[in-house]
Amino acid sequence: MDLLLLATDQNTPFNYFPIALQLVVAIGFVIVMMVVTHLLGPKRRTSDKLINFESGIPSVGNARQPMAIKYFLVAILFVLFDVEVIFFYPYAINFAELGWEGFKAVLLFVAFFLCGFIYIVKKGALEWEE
Amino acid sequence: MKAIIAATIIGVVLMFTGILVKEKKGIATLAAILFFLLLGVNIWELSTLDANQPQAFFNNMLRIDRYSVWFNTLMTACTVLYVMLSGREIQKVGIHVSDYFALMSFMLVGLYMLSGYSNMLVLFLGIEIISIPQYILAGSDKKNLKSSEASLKYFLMGAFTTGILLMGITLLYGASGTFDIARFTFLQADSLNPMALCGIIFLIIAFAFKVSAAPMHMWTPDVYDGSPTPFTAFMSTVVKAAAFIAFIKLFHISFNSLSGHWTMIIAVITAATLLVGNVTAVFQQSVKRMMAYSSIAQAGFMLFAVLSISATSWQGLIIYAVSYTVATMGVFAVLMKLKDFTYDGFNGLAKREPLLAFVMTIFLLSLAGIPLTGGFMAKYFMLTAAVEQGQVLWLVIFALLMAAISVYYYFRVIIAMYFKQGSPEMSSPVTAGDRLVLVATAALVILLGVAPGLLLKFI
Amino acid sequence: MPIQHYLFLSMLLFCIGIMGALMRRNAIIIFMCIELMLNAVNLLLVAFSKMYADAAAQIFVFFIMVVAAAEVAVGLAVIVMMYRKVHSVDINILNRLKH
Repeated sequence: MDLLLLATDQNTPFNYFPIALQLVVAIGFVIVMMVVTHLLGPKRRTSDKLINFESGIPSVGNARQPMAIKYFLVAILFVLFDVEVIFFYPYAINFAELGWEGFKAVLLFVAFFLCGFIYIVKKGALEWEE
Repeated sequence: MKAIIAATIIGVVLMFTGILVKEKKGIATLAAILFFLLLGVNIWELSTLDANQPQAFFNNMLRIDRYSVWFNTLMTACTVLYVMLSGREIQKVGIHVSDYFALMSFMLVGLYMLSGYSNMLVLFLGIEIISIPQYILAGSDKKNLKSSEASLKYFLMGAFTTGILLMGITLLYGASGTFDIARFTFLQADSLNPMALCGIIFLIIAFAFKVSAAPMHMWTPDVYDGSPTPFTAFMSTVVKAAAFIAFIKLFHISFNSLSGHWTMIIAVITAATLLVGNVTAVFQQSVKRMMAYSSIAQAGFMLFAVLSISATSWQGLIIYAVSYTVATMGVFAVLMKLKDFTYDGFNGLAKREPLLAFVMTIFLLSLAGIPLTGGFMAKYFMLTAAVEQGQVLWLVIFALLMAAISVYYYFRVIIAMYFKQGSPEMSSPVTAGDRLVLVATAALVILLGVAPGLLLKFI
Repeated sequence: MPIQHYLFLSMLLFCIGIMGALMRRNAIIIFMCIELMLNAVNLLLVAFSKMYADAAAQIFVFFIMVVAAAEVAVGLAVIVMMYRKVHSVDINILNRLKH
């Protein structure tokens, strides 16, 4: 009972007790499962089993080769659009207080977002095949 | 605020124009019309703004007063002039013409933010909004290796400075607990917090980089030389003016009472900038590179506005920014007509194109600060402000000496045009429209020299 | 924990970033060092935000992250453009501009 009371108090490290408990359980579960499968499973190592699995296609050559510039472009665009989403966090926290005014602002933000997206689609940045 | 919204919309419209319209000339014409509209919006905002009542937006993060709107209007007018002077050259840079104009429009948004900010966040965003398009524009001539190099160099140095700027802002926040430039509380304290002093020094370094003041000027010649010439004309004028208004705003409004701590630092920076810019410009062989050093030297004069805290320095900044911008854009417009950018390329221009040589002479005289041109009045206002303040008289004498040196390298071009024999090769024919705009620009330079009061009427 | 610890830590990170940016010759690594500088600033801003119990600094961090992402996009594109021309990201080649 004492412990539970402490956990509800805002200003103590016990506030994080449930999170720590969950972390311990999650990590413990993973470790236990890995150890158990390792111990129980049959061990037959063949050369076919030791090569990298690439969706059933035979693997060819070294992985560290120059990549097509298309990958780079898509990766960059992903980073841009991915990071912009960060602004939704403060909005989500203050969702109720901001009300319709905030909603309009977010709609405007998303509209600019869409403008950028339409622009890159129209420019052909996402066309994979030439 | 109206201008910010309009410039953003114009930027987005121009972005999409490139997808719908493929004809370069049509895009350039549309861009010119839209920039004209933007100028109209600025004038509208100026006319609706109450002179004594600054408007505040975004929880007082943006505070627009008469001075900032007038500055915006003038700089937009300069941009319109620039589009008319070098619209044809911009079309030659590459295939994405609409994107270049869109980026310029976004840079104007950054300028509007920098002229009206009252919060460090808006300062940071404004500086980034004018910087990131510059990295792209510097590298827009994709076939030219020098352009790519200029872009990479500018980008690395610019990003580095952003880090320093942010650290300065953070330390000031740590010392005062606010981002509002009018409410830095350490101003009232008797003893200056060392954290705040560090922050101010970081900010001086970052701003010195953005306005290309020595010893943070190293990137300027390479970047201005490597970038496509029309974009050099824009980067070295309107953008530099925007950086200066941000500089003067922060140091005069926020750090006014601390001026004893930073006046000497800025004075030394000013002296170094004047020395490096003027002396190195003498030894250049290419006029484009000489103009890069000349822009460093002119930045040295503009630093006088930051140095001397008075109403004169604010007026002087506007006069200097406009007259320097107009004259430099004129010089670059003439330069772009020639194939060879060295001094020898100008040999005999007066015989082949007398009008071009004549307007070029006026622009160069203005940059050198000869009386009856805008440049003279600008330098006069700057030095008057410094004399009124009275602390840095040695610097005023030094600046006069440096102005005398600058006459040498500007006159070298005039001598090449008028007194040397040769037949300059033109990169494009000079049309009647070009002549008209160039003569109008030259007339503007003279008008600024005769009646500089016109620029102060609307403050 | 006192604010000084955060101040020292982020100043340390910031100085590592500055030294790296000034001393390394590989454009990508310089760029990473610059990102380190920005992250040092972010850390310090969050620490100050906690100290003053003021959320403004945390919003500032969001803006720094977003602007840094935009800068990454442009910067990496410039570096790739350079790489395709000279097959190197060594910044010593930049000295060619000086003549």
